[in-house]
Amino acid sequence: MREKINEEVSVVMYYSAKHKKTVPHLLNWQSKDYSLGPVDYYHSYMEGRDMQHIFELCDREGSLWFRLRLDSSNLHWTLEAIHDGLAS
Amino acid sequence: MDLQANDTEPMIMHIDLNSCYAIIEQQANRLIRNKPVGVAAYDSPGGFIIASSYEAKRLGIKLMRVREAREIAKDIIVLTPDPEKYFDAHRRFKEVLLRYTNEVTPKSVDEFVVDFRGSPAVQYGHSLSDIGRQIKRDIRQSLGEYVSVNIGIGPNRFLAKVAAGMDKPDGMDVITARDIHSIYGQLDLMDLPGINHRYKARLNFAQIFTPLDFLSAPMPKLKKEVFKSIVGYYWYLRLRGYEVDAARFATRSFGNDYAVGDKTSDPEQISKLLMKLCEKTGRRLRRHDYQAQGVFLGMGFENRTWWGKSKRTGSLLYSTQDIYLAVMRLFRQIDITARVTHINIAVFDVIPASPVQIGLFDGTRLDTRSLAIASDKLNDRYGEFTVVPATMANMQDVIIKRVPFGSVRDI
Repeated sequence: MREKINEEVSVVMYYSAKHKKTVPHLLNWQSKDYSLGPVDYYHSYMEGRDMQHIFELCDREGSLWFRLRLDSSNLHWTLEAIHDGLAS
Repeated sequence: MDLQANDTEPMIMHIDLNSCYAIIEQQANRLIRNKPVGVAAYDSPGGFIIASSYEAKRLGIKLMRVREAREIAKDIIVLTPDPEKYFDAHRRFKEVLLRYTNEVTPKSVDEFVVDFRGSPAVQYGHSLSDIGRQIKRDIRQSLGEYVSVNIGIGPNRFLAKVAAGMDKPDGMDVITARDIHSIYGQLDLMDLPGINHRYKARLNFAQIFTPLDFLSAPMPKLKKEVFKSIVGYYWYLRLRGYEVDAARFATRSFGNDYAVGDKTSDPEQISKLLMKLCEKTGRRLRRHDYQAQGVFLGMGFENRTWWGKSKRTGSLLYSTQDIYLAVMRLFRQIDITARVTHINIAVFDVIPASPVQIGLFDGTRLDTRSLAIASDKLNDRYGEFTVVPATMANMQDVIIKRVPFGSVRDI
């Protein structure tokens, strides 16, 4: 089921000059590392004048989905929600 | 003499995203792909499913309560809407289409009409079917590999939409003048876009039971007997592939519709909800630089009754405060006998807000106007509902942003 988390988390990200893409690579949440798979949907929106970047993706094992938000005003990462792919 | 079907080359394309909100959620989360998914206004049992995935549709889950959907499929995944994501998908969808021509008209978040007449893509000798296949590839590249669209091609918007509905999901069909009889022969009246229960009853009353009956009905019969207006003439042309739906209408109203989560009959609670709806409506009105000359309030109650009233106001409505005062005048006329389940407010007869027309008896209206402009600037800078009227205190999570049906002017 989908669960709201809204906790600040540590994220390793990289930028590919070749593909002109910024991608979250590793997530540390509750002292556990999650190696992240490809971004399945990225979008951004304005909150006032601050842009919020939303990355939706799964871990490499394909067992957990994450919705990550990068706040461009302070470059902090927030894990907004997780989903195990099952109904509630 | 009967008018022949329009036999010009089909140049209108209707494109719609399959099960839009559900498929975008499945694109964003690969763990829920190939599973029944419903997007509902609320994920509680009484919440209403507004979009379902193809897997859910195959089980018979369409527009219904979450409770009913779970009776059909216990394992249905119910998600609440993510409007910003759907708006982003709409913009990407539009960007793809604008690569081919400027004649792109959004009909809703997930539907576009593209007029290819005179477009460079056609001038280079590509067929519309080839262009359609390329658009499908481009949309997959832009939105993701799980996203597919239905494409319909026809001589007018109506037939293009009929074609888009023929082969779901991920279909592409073309209707020409030659095919009209065979296509209509496969459809029911209610399969025709624009024919609802009310129109069907009207047609049945005039002994029109199928699309073929509809097509063969003489124009005077449709105009004078069935629709009793020019609408009958429009249907006569529309069915034969002539364009009557390309008109663009000017904005006349702004409104907000809200299904009340915590149903209430407390006037104080309701007035708070009304203030928030007025603020949302006012923000949209001012963002488009309009002011209004009338206000509407509608309310639905738990006992399935409905109350609605509109009133033209003597003065122009611009600030949230102006709108709220006008709405509250209507609200005081309601006798609340049951809990409120639905609220609908709108401002209508809008006219451009600038230049400012100063009324002789406006009193402090200019002050409220300046206040509205100042608070809008703060909300633009720091985010929606940063500065709010005192009535709206502690209401941050009530009346969240919703996906619009039809209108895309705020995307």
